[in-house]
Order: sequence, then structure tokens, then C-alpha cells
Amino acid sequence: MNAAPPMMNRNAAILSSTLLSCLMTSCGSMKMPAFFRNPSSEAVVYALGPRDGFSSPLNGSLKPACPALVFDHADFQLTAAHQQALNGLAQEMLKNKKARLLIAGYTVPNLPPDHARSLSERRALAVRQRLIELGLDAANVQTVGFGNDFSPSGPSSDVVVIYRQN
Amino acid sequence: MNARALLFIFTLVLCHGTRAEAGVMDRLRGLLSFGGGKSKTEEPKKIMPRIRVGTFSGGTGASAQQALRQELLDSREFFVAGADEKADYQVEGTSSGGRVTGKLRDGKGKDLFQRSYAAPGLDENLKALTDDVIYTITGRPGLATSRIVFVSNVSGKRQIYVCDAEGGEVHQVTHDKHAAVSPSLSPDSSMIAFTSYRTGFPIIRLLDLNVGWERGVTDTPGSSFGSAFSPDGTHLAAVMSFIGNPEIFVSDLNTNTAACVSDSVGAPSSPSWHPDGRQIVFSSDDGDGPKLYIVEVPQKEGAASRLFRWRTGYHFCTDPEWSPDGRQIAFTTRTSGEWTVAIKSYPNGGVQVVQAGGAEHPSWSPNGHFITYVQHGELFVHDLRSGNRRSILRGYGHISEPRWMR
Repeated sequence: MNAAPPMMNRNAAILSSTLLSCLMTSCGSMKMPAFFRNPSSEAVVYALGPRDGFSSPLNGSLKPACPALVFDHADFQLTAAHQQALNGLAQEMLKNKKARLLIAGYTVPNLPPDHARSLSERRALAVRQRLIELGLDAANVQTVGFGNDFSPSGPSSDVVVIYRQN
Repeated sequence: MNARALLFIFTLVLCHGTRAEAGVMDRLRGLLSFGGGKSKTEEPKKIMPRIRVGTFSGGTGASAQQALRQELLDSREFFVAGADEKADYQVEGTSSGGRVTGKLRDGKGKDLFQRSYAAPGLDENLKALTDDVIYTITGRPGLATSRIVFVSNVSGKRQIYVCDAEGGEVHQVTHDKHAAVSPSLSPDSSMIAFTSYRTGFPIIRLLDLNVGWERGVTDTPGSSFGSAFSPDGTHLAAVMSFIGNPEIFVSDLNTNTAACVSDSVGAPSSPSWHPDGRQIVFSSDDGDGPKLYIVEVPQKEGAASRLFRWRTGYHFCTDPEWSPDGRQIAFTTRTSGEWTVAIKSYPNGGVQVVQAGGAEHPSWSPNGHFITYVQHGELFVHDLRSGNRRSILRGYGHISEPRWMR
């Protein structure tokens, strides 16, 4: 029953702290190295930039940039409705190059807590990835996964909420 | 799927002089007892080492002798012989003013150890002696001084607490502004790693229970959670997402370097170390529900390693934890629409459902005989030998994410 574990060569890329610094501070236009990418996908994964200056919804009221994106239970793939909402948001955001967004993921309460944190972060990253593909600067878009540790306002908790940053 | 590894240096260390809750390091009282109504002096069917509690001289000697005998009985590790019965081992000593000196001898009269215990209370000293006797004779840790760390919202916010193995001596150890979750105890029980929301974002922090200080381990963008100490306590496995994907990272706590050991396109969570420190099991959801994966931890830079799915026969598997002997993995799954705690032998073997009906987040006792889990917000301890279980903490808010000292 158990899968025969395939032997894989782990081409471990050794990066110096300098490169890390690049990843953390100027990832906005930087393509990730090949080994970061899902080999089955041509999508470029964008590392997160510094979080300095970003506010959390836990520390004060933040204004959503658009209606919350509702996900099916346990899913993190973007639907056509999500894409449509993000297209509209991107058009609006591209008018102000300095505008910043915090994408916060949430899940329903009845999921195992650690899985919920990861699932919510994955949802937030999927939304971020799409917004970057639509032209937003990666350095201006941060994510956080709250899992079911906190609940968003609104009728559904299986959501991603995109908050404007001041 | 190509495995990948990223090794880098990142400056993460933040030191804050936060005081820990006083009394956290107090020795814990109590031990599990699942006698099921049987007389505790009844000869067990399984052959157990026979131990005799000899004389304890001194002012509190008589009390110490009586209490130690009860501790050894409750441990279910020995047949406790009477004064005139044959025994493989004898423990004796002195006790004055609550301090205890214990000496363990084998049947031939050879000294195995002699130690003094000077904690403030007699009970604390006897529990420490009991655990030392158990470890010396069986090679397994005792539970008398073990603790369980868990999350509860009893204060109105999710915070981290510890209790002893029978749910007593509960202490709150975090007082974070928003919440503190996802705790893990270091192998020597001196530190707790946890996810803190004090900045408004999930970061991993270490709390030293001995000296009371805290420090940050990660303050990277995105989310950090699911920390798990390596068996030697020098490394921390955790989920971090700053590279644009949530991945399992292994951080060296001495050098503050970290390596990415997973290769996820989904949502990985809940890493747990094999007791040899060379493998990690974790859960990952690639879009069709979380499954369990095993990854070898590279022992040197650039070393080849394997990353593979470990099939359990269930479609939804989270919260895996390796048993102390490395022969089994406990995990949360779902049966009949409800959370279920199950165990599967590693690498091959059948699945044993430990508890259905909403039980989740299993964690092994240090000796591998018990599992703790939560069910509908209550904390349970389950004896894997007898199948008996009991609620050890209820009415203490909604309890989640228990971890037994490893």
C-alpha cells in the first residue's frame, strides 16, 4: 500500500545571506530561481518583501479593498468569480503605484488548527500571485494566514480578505 | 517532483526580557492511574521488573517510603514487592524536611545510582526519584514529572498553558496581546516554541521556562507556525511562507540558519521529527485534502535526500506525530464525518483507530504507552495498552493543540 519512495537528487542551492537580502528586499521584479518553481507550472513564484510598515487587522480597523473572496471548503484554487473580482481590483490599484495591500486568509473553525493556518496562507498567496500577474508590484502586496485563530467580519469565515494599507 | 533545499542565513533573533509565569518549572504532581478497579498489588500478567521500596530514614522518611511506593505502583512499570518478597531491585534512602536522597540497587546489591533531590516539596522530590528509577530500569522516561502543553481560550484569548499528566498543576505561560498558539515543548522541557500574534502577524518565539526570557525565532513576512523541536533540541522544524510558498523549514537554533526541506505546491503543516532526527513527517494539502509526507533531513549541504508520500489509506490526514520509538505515527483523520485519532505502524502496517467521534491532535507520552488528544475541547489521555481513557481537563475553555513533553 505504501508508495515506493522515489530517490531524488536534492540539488540544494546554497544562497548566501546577500542573496537572501535580495529576496527579502527587492523581490518585486525578481524571478525566483528555477528550483523554487513547481516544475509542472510555468508560474513564477514571488517571494514576499519586507513587512515593515504593514498594519495587521488585529491592531486596528482596516478597510477591505473589495468584497471578501469566498472559498469552497478546504479549497485554495482561484475560481472564475475570484479572477473577475481580482481583475477589477487590479485595474483600480494600478492607478496608484504606491498603494499597498495585505491579503489575509481565514478558514472555518472546524479544521485542525495547523492545517487551517497553512490553508489560509496558501489561499492568500494564490490571490497575491494573481494580483502580481495582473501588474501589481510584488513588494506592495503582503500575505498573512490567520487560519481559524481569528474570524473575519462577515457571514463566511472561509474567505480571503484584501485590506488596504495606509 | 524535484526536491529542493535552500540554505541561508537570516537574522531573526530578537530578545525580550519577558518574564515567564512564576511556578511553571515547579515539579508536577500526579501520575496516571488506569487501574480499572483492579487491586494495585495484584500480580500483573505481563512480566514486570520487581522492585521493593526499602527503608527511608529521617524525619519525613516514613512518608517518603509510603508515597514512593504509591508512585511506583501508579507508574505500572513494576511489580512492587512487599518487604518479605523477592525483588529484582530495591530503592531506599533518607528524607528530612522534604529533601530526599534515594539509592537504587539491583538484586545482587550493586548500586545503580544514588541521588539527592532538594526541590521545595517532598512530592516533587519523590516524583523526580520515581522517574529516575523508571528510566534506569526500563530505559524509558517516566511520566511523574512530564507535562502537557496546550492552547486554551479560557482567558478570552487563545493562550498557552501547561499541566501535568493527570491534568493538574495548570499554569498559563503566555499572555500575548492577541493570541499564542501552536506550542511545542523542547525535549528537556525547558523551552516552549510557539506562534505568537503579538505583532499582529504570526511569528515563532521561544520561551525559556527556566530563566523566563523570550526571543523571536522568525520574524519573516507571511506566516510562521507549526514549530517542532528536533530530538536533540538543537533544531526547529516549522512552516514558513516568506519565499512565496508555505514550506517546511529546519532552523538551527545555535547558528540561526535554516533550510527548506519540503517541496510543496500546496499547504504543508504540522512537521514532526523521527526520534533519530533524520526524518520529518508532515501533512500537506496539494488540493485534494491533506496527506502525509516523509522527508529526509539532509545531514550536510547538498546531500541527496528523499521526499515521498506515506500512504495511510485515509484521504484527510493532519497533525502527524512520530512515536518515541519511531515505530508508529499518530495522526488526525476523518471517519464518518468526524475527527478521529489513528495510529499506523511505520513504515508499513495496519491502521489502528484510537478514538473516533471528534478526537484530534494526538501526541505521544514520553514512554509511548499513552496518547493525549482533544475531543470537543476536552483534554484526554488514552492508555494504548488497556484501551482505557479519561478526560483529564474539562471546563477549561476550549482546549486545542496538546503536545506531551518529548
